[in-house]
Amino acid sequence: MLGGIGTLVAGGGVVYGASRLDSDSAEPTSSESNRTQFHSRSETTGLGIELGGHPIMGEMDAPVDVYYWSDYQCPFCRRFEADSFPKIVENHVRPGTVRFVFIQYPYLSESSMTAAVMDRCVWRQVRGGDAARYLDWHSAVFDAQGEKNSGWASAENLLEITANVEGVDADAVETCLDSHGTEIEAAIETDVQQASQYGIRGSPAFVLYNRESDKAGKIVGAQPYERFDSAISKVKNA
Amino acid sequence: MNDAVDAHISRFVAAFGYPFTSTGRTVATFAFAAVTYALLILSSFPTYSMQMLTTDLGYLDEAIVALTANTYQSVGAVALGLIVVYAVLTGIALTTAIGRIRHAGGTSARGLSSVLPGLLASGCASCGAGLLGTLGFVGALSMLPFDGNLLRLAGLLLLVAYLSRLGDPRRCTIPSATGGE
Repeated sequence: MLGGIGTLVAGGGVVYGASRLDSDSAEPTSSESNRTQFHSRSETTGLGIELGGHPIMGEMDAPVDVYYWSDYQCPFCRRFEADSFPKIVENHVRPGTVRFVFIQYPYLSESSMTAAVMDRCVWRQVRGGDAARYLDWHSAVFDAQGEKNSGWASAENLLEITANVEGVDADAVETCLDSHGTEIEAAIETDVQQASQYGIRGSPAFVLYNRESDKAGKIVGAQPYERFDSAISKVKNA
Repeated sequence: MNDAVDAHISRFVAAFGYPFTSTGRTVATFAFAAVTYALLILSSFPTYSMQMLTTDLGYLDEAIVALTANTYQSVGAVALGLIVVYAVLTGIALTTAIGRIRHAGGTSARGLSSVLPGLLASGCASCGAGLLGTLGFVGALSMLPFDGNLLRLAGLLLLVAYLSRLGDPRRCTIPSATGGE
């Protein structure tokens, strides 16, 4: 299949650590919106990904994890969101094959970090209730994507977008930005550094991981759905 | 001084016009330009390009279209325009360089030595974007002045300088005071 996925699944030169679940104790939350479940879970996967703070979409016992690194200012991420993402959700997330973990990877400019911090604040705000609202916000921001550094990803404009997303409290998000912005930014920086350990140098980027067999593969860029479909099957059967 | 500038300009015009003096040269020029454009665009996201093309070469057109759109959306029309102009100039430079080697008898070490440095230097300047990505400098291009357009412009200037030194490969030119042949 993919060069990257083949390499990782075969373990050729890229060997990840053994499975390790640090914590299974956090309260999972989920909700239903367009039949897509979202969860919050505090644990570290066998691949070393700390799930805490990241939206998880899909069944928690889905056999394949897909870790998705993105930047809201990245046009290639928007392309993925428009083309392959809906098909992955329809054909792999909803049927219970994949659980999709959203990880921020702001690298294009300061506004990318602004959007990334707001993403985490939105998740904090909705995860205890109608968690699937996160996807509405996530999609609304990508839909509103403008030219890099044109101001579309300023805090003010993003809060305006937030206010128009039903079920997301823009005031609570703003409060989160003020009171937890620095702490969230530090956590995102850690995620960015960790991404480099997986050889991620641009976005969108994906690591597919079979938790049971501890096999993984990587896809980079807005590739066609068929490539994801094939990669998911390959990792699932690895 | 003015004579030297005039000589460079006339040699550049002669080199620029040479590829269009026959159908074969024109076709070769556009073929070189197309290959150069493909390489430059694919090198803007090398890991993506490698994954797509190592799976199936049939993805070549999709990868080029996707990365062209991505380049336009992420660094703008000016950057994309510079890449297109660079590709066309490279096509002209390659055709002219081949003409020079052929007219020099095909084995002229001097001819080769005058051709390669210009192409290599301009190539390095232009594909810096891809190299930076490959080397792991995430977002490095976006941090460069004008999103890396200066780097692209540097590659273009090197090509123009190279062509203005080369001239029409069918003609021998008298060495100038500035070191040109």
